[in-house]
Amino acid sequence: MLIWFLPAFLFFLLIGLPVFFGLLAAPGLLLWLNGQEKDITLLYRNVYNGMDSFPLMAIPFFMLAGEMMNRGGITIRLVEFSQALMGHLRGGLAQVNILSSILFAGLSGSAVADTSALGSMLIPAMEREGYSRKFAAAITAASSVIGPIIPPSGIMIIYAYVMGESVAALFLAGIIPGILVGVGLMVMVRLMADRYDLPPAHRVVLTGTQLGKTETWVSFLLVRLNLGLLLWSFMPVGAEASSAIQWGLLIGALLIAHGIFLGLRRVVSHDFRMVCKRAMVPLQTPILILGGILAGVFTPTEAAAVAVAYAVFVGFFILRSLSLRDMPQILTNAGITSAVVLLLVGAAMAFKTVVSLSHAPEQLAGFILNLSENPLILLFLINLLLFIVGMFLDAGPAIIILGPILGPIFTDLGVDSIHFAIIMSVNLTVGLATPPMGLVLFVAAAVSKERVETIAKAILPFLAVEILVIFLITYVPAISMTIPRLTGFAQ
Amino acid sequence: MGGLLSVLAPIGFVNEFALRIGRAIGVVAIAAMVVAILIQVFFRYVLNNALPWPDEAARFCMLWMTGLMAPTAFRRGGFVAIDMFGRALPSIPGQILSLFLLAVSLLVLVVAIGIGWGEVTGFGGKFTTASLYLPTSFSFDEWYRIPRSWMMASLLVGVVLLTSVNIELILRGLVTLMGGSDRLRPIDDVEMLGSE
Repeated sequence: MLIWFLPAFLFFLLIGLPVFFGLLAAPGLLLWLNGQEKDITLLYRNVYNGMDSFPLMAIPFFMLAGEMMNRGGITIRLVEFSQALMGHLRGGLAQVNILSSILFAGLSGSAVADTSALGSMLIPAMEREGYSRKFAAAITAASSVIGPIIPPSGIMIIYAYVMGESVAALFLAGIIPGILVGVGLMVMVRLMADRYDLPPAHRVVLTGTQLGKTETWVSFLLVRLNLGLLLWSFMPVGAEASSAIQWGLLIGALLIAHGIFLGLRRVVSHDFRMVCKRAMVPLQTPILILGGILAGVFTPTEAAAVAVAYAVFVGFFILRSLSLRDMPQILTNAGITSAVVLLLVGAAMAFKTVVSLSHAPEQLAGFILNLSENPLILLFLINLLLFIVGMFLDAGPAIIILGPILGPIFTDLGVDSIHFAIIMSVNLTVGLATPPMGLVLFVAAAVSKERVETIAKAILPFLAVEILVIFLITYVPAISMTIPRLTGFAQ
Repeated sequence: MGGLLSVLAPIGFVNEFALRIGRAIGVVAIAAMVVAILIQVFFRYVLNNALPWPDEAARFCMLWMTGLMAPTAFRRGGFVAIDMFGRALPSIPGQILSLFLLAVSLLVLVVAIGIGWGEVTGFGGKFTTASLYLPTSFSFDEWYRIPRSWMMASLLVGVVLLTSVNIELILRGLVTLMGGSDRLRPIDDVEMLGSE
């Protein structure tokens, strides 16, 4: 009897009941009909216990950090940096759009924020350069899905929490797939550039850019510290080496880094260096988050709080682009958005209890195994299912609903749980850009003033690339598993 | 319809007022969460002496932030739903479906209030938090250990506010169904990013 909660939930979902209420109404109704009224109390308790979690706190923190960075005017710096790096390639501004999305992904982890921040800047600029508006909107929407794949990522925090995985492992596993989506889109733009005669490109390096004293020194220190620490981490020193030797090597590494940058000054123009320096401060955010987690200094939640502190430092003291008057609105936006996600996660934990009680995964596993026992075919079918779900439902709620049902089945079939998490996250994230309900399509339409249907047609070549990447990720586990394995976060 | 509008006006006013206060407390809560975790990072990694209270204090603030801010999102249409079916229907059936969905939501919320009240006032709420204390004297020599029910009340308050918003939305739906949508005060829209 209890297994009927799934069709009941699906019914509620399809007629438009908010997911939060559907996650509680369907199992609650079936428990009541089954005479298990006491277990309805268990549902309520699990909503509360589901929200009362330390790891979940990373969600509001990352949202807050992203919101502050975005308001603090870092988007323009990332675009300038991308333009200086990629602007000379054929289809230059489209390539800049994609690279900016990859860089932006390391700060916000939100496809919607990416589309709205980069789109409002790049779509008009692309139109002025001679691109069609629908093409500009389509490439903005298609590249924005990189946001939740490259860490930090809200949906990966949710997946990790609901499925009991390591946030750090998922973050690391998302890096190569995210970059792969970006590279795939760049290749497609290059191919389209010849075929559709996209506007000729030129390298754009802003001239006469000046930096404040504080920012100059902060950038100076950050680049040397990053490279120096990287060199130091590769030095073959045993753990038994004395602290004097360790310090000596660190100072040596910093001096080598300084030397390298002095050498680069002769090769690179002053203007290019200025643009890079302007991008250094915002680009430090992902380095801080991932570096902190990888070095074992912070937990992901603490790293998220440190990212907020860094965003405050950057916005108020380095760029001076934030004021105290901006803060209530920033905090309100981050709070309201997080509250909805946290309630959903709480309801998902309650839903997960009923999923276990009903033995739904076992029955579904039986059904799926009847279709085929070959994991490769099953992965193909599951990708198809996820893609269809992604067309109608946003990635976060879809993960909350499907994770507890599908995760255990594929883990039992021998698919690594982290690998499956990435397949699911990437597939559902791409769904954000698919019609008819792709969230970023609507945002791109609002930003560009182009019709959703027109963008939906123009985005098809890019979606084809993203589908190809999904299958690459699915059938080549090394793409997602290499970094977590190398860093000891996966076996 | 006049009767409905006269009931709707005070409920709308109370909701607007309560949610504004909720948002203000939520803003303080989210800022306090950041500060608490940063204090913990400082003490744990710089002073090598982790404090017992910041993690629990931050969770306390997060629960209250959720309870107090989620109703604002609900009122502004920020709860995730697949609304294709409703939008595909003609106007009147679409509005009736919308009212049905609000009625289902109300049922969930009313049951949740009953259970939530039992939880807060019942056995589970009588325990104390692990590490949260409030000073009860100006000399800071007397402390009150915060009961767990104060944390649990966050969800109950959230559910009560959601119920109040739900009732307002039902009344608005009824007024719209009766052709009085032009007499309704608009609800502010909000930028909703979700986890995506």
